Amino acid sequence: MDNAQTASDTDLLRRYDVPGPRYTSYPTAPHFHGGFGEREFREAAAASNGDPIPRRLSLYVHVPFCESPCFYCGCNRIITRDKARGEAYLARLYREIDLVSQCFDRDRELIQLHFGGGTPNFLSPAQLREVVETVRGHFRFGDARELDLSIELDPRHVTPQDIAVLADIGFNRASLGVQDFDIEVQKAVNREQSVEETRAVIEACRAHGFRSVNVDLIYGLPKQTLAGFGTTLDIVADMRPDRVAVYGYAHMPNLFRAQNQIVAADLPDPEGKLALLQLAIRKLTDAGYVYIGMDHFALPDDDLATSQARGGLHRNFMGYTTHADSDLIGVGVSAISHVGDTFSQNPRDLASWQAALDEGRLPVFRGMRLSEDDQLRADLIQALMCHGAIPIDALERRYDIVFADYFADALRKLAPLEKDGLVRVERHRILATSRGRLLLRNIAMCFDRYLAEPNPVVTPRFSRAI
Amino acid sequence: MKAAPDPVAFPRTDAKVLADDGDALRFCSTCAFSQACLDQGMDKSALMDLHVLVEHVGPLHAGEHVFREGDHFDAIAAVRAGTVKTYVVDRDGHEHVLGFHLPGEVIGLDAIDGEHYPCNAVALDTVMLCRFSFPKIAVLATQVPGLQRQLFRLLSRDIGRAALLAGDWSADQRLAAFLIGLSRRLAARGFSPNRFQLTMPRTDIANYLRLAPETVSRVLRRFQQDGLVRVERRELEIADRPGLEHLAAPILRT
Repeated sequence: MDNAQTASDTDLLRRYDVPGPRYTSYPTAPHFHGGFGEREFREAAAASNGDPIPRRLSLYVHVPFCESPCFYCGCNRIITRDKARGEAYLARLYREIDLVSQCFDRDRELIQLHFGGGTPNFLSPAQLREVVETVRGHFRFGDARELDLSIELDPRHVTPQDIAVLADIGFNRASLGVQDFDIEVQKAVNREQSVEETRAVIEACRAHGFRSVNVDLIYGLPKQTLAGFGTTLDIVADMRPDRVAVYGYAHMPNLFRAQNQIVAADLPDPEGKLALLQLAIRKLTDAGYVYIGMDHFALPDDDLATSQARGGLHRNFMGYTTHADSDLIGVGVSAISHVGDTFSQNPRDLASWQAALDEGRLPVFRGMRLSEDDQLRADLIQALMCHGAIPIDALERRYDIVFADYFADALRKLAPLEKDGLVRVERHRILATSRGRLLLRNIAMCFDRYLAEPNPVVTPRFSRAI
Repeated sequence: MKAAPDPVAFPRTDAKVLADDGDALRFCSTCAFSQACLDQGMDKSALMDLHVLVEHVGPLHAGEHVFREGDHFDAIAAVRAGTVKTYVVDRDGHEHVLGFHLPGEVIGLDAIDGEHYPCNAVALDTVMLCRFSFPKIAVLATQVPGLQRQLFRLLSRDIGRAALLAGDWSADQRLAAFLIGLSRRLAARGFSPNRFQLTMPRTDIANYLRLAPETVSRVLRRFQQDGLVRVERRELEIADRPGLEHLAAPILRT
């Protein structure tokens, strides 16, 4: 990239740095509503059992506890060191697994089991084994070669010995939070974590046969510098995780209380943030990583990169996945399910979630059924996010539409993006250019019907694009 | 830009079809009797008589019954839109699916012999019907030969279809025959023959074909691997028609 190109990209990226959804779902969670509850979830599950070839299942287990607060975090979590809370939580979780498993026909294979948080390794390896065994008792596990058993790990609270136990339980994928190794940044976000302990965990995963290790980084954190983040990227590239995610920090202290601990003056300005992102892209691609899209990079032989090349990549609440032809069941506080043409979510506060389960109810507090228009747009955005292209022909065929007519409005909104070189509108597809791939959410936003309808309650909830 | 309009994939209905209520000279395009009347030069007054017998019913929503076993029989009904399942429940409480009725097809024919409907009929999705008072249509049929012939034709088709499953066929053959049968029936009504939705849950398909639900899925998955069909949720596309016809041939015999 020469200097002129970089400068014009900078200008472009600045112009497109507007708030927008991350499209882990379409429609996005703020559009779920209270009219969708337990009964509607049960109906959706029954309908999904009625498909001629029912989809396979993915299960997401949310573990909300963390021992200390990282100030940047916008996840649903509870700060505690009281391990007894984990036990109480698991008692309810098992009840939920029992209730929800009865909604699905037993011949439907479970092909993905993912633990997220919070900090899943707040639970001891023995507790994690118990959860996996409980799930195994309620669902039919797919072939071990196909089953993805994955967990998000906080390297500060896991030892190489723990990893050996996790591998024995069957875990074969891990995602490690790193964010930045720069000690000044770590202090500013209340997360001090050494290179050595991180490296030890990655090496243990590899030694115990994990299929894939992911490292999460964040750009735009307080006190972050190009030099410091550059060093972090070099160290991470040297550790050679199979996947790297580089998320943009979204400072929204009015939504996420912990972020009030961050001194706004310490945050990089938009230019600085952009430079950090560009640095990450350059360093990771130079190190041989393939840019998958949005915030994700993978080694060329990782499943994500090979599935993308094959056209089999999908995106859901867990990020990119090779398994989205599955119905997704979320258990635990705040967890989201995606069954058939519905989304649904558990209560975000522990008390309501517990209360529902103590009454023997499935704890669904809101959700939605997708209309045909929603499904069409979800399909379109999915294709864009995963493959950087909108397949016009396939969508016309599948939904019996004339693309140019149906999306006349969207195409008008897309015209300036085409002029800026973000997309190429061809006869049979719309292609995101290499520039456009950095701004996939902006392209997707042109096709988001809910953004076209002004909704002042909803729009400010989204983080900025970069 | 799309070229000539493709036939729509069932159960998507052209808005024009549902709006088409017919008039004194023309029947709804989905009507099971239109052929009898129009093709065979029924005169206008006979047509008017028949129109008087017709009562539009619906929309019924999934799970709503058209009639139940034992209800007093007074009418046959033609499906205008959607799918109706007919079934009986045996003494042990087990359901037996008798058939699926698509637009243009008639339900209640098996009640003609008696005073009461011998089975249940339930809507599987959003269903629109035309009810024909049976006593009146029977009287009219004696005056209109074309109508009588059409009634007999419908009756014999109904009996013939039920016989398909009586043989000792493999799961592959049953499922292939089921899909080809559906495809032909839909094509006859102007729907796409190669792309349609399976509006019935797999337990109903399995029940109808006397197979286990898992078997239905397993066979379909294999059909898919072999390139015979493509299945996405309820959407089915016949990808290799000759291949599927070949499998179905022993049962369909054509």
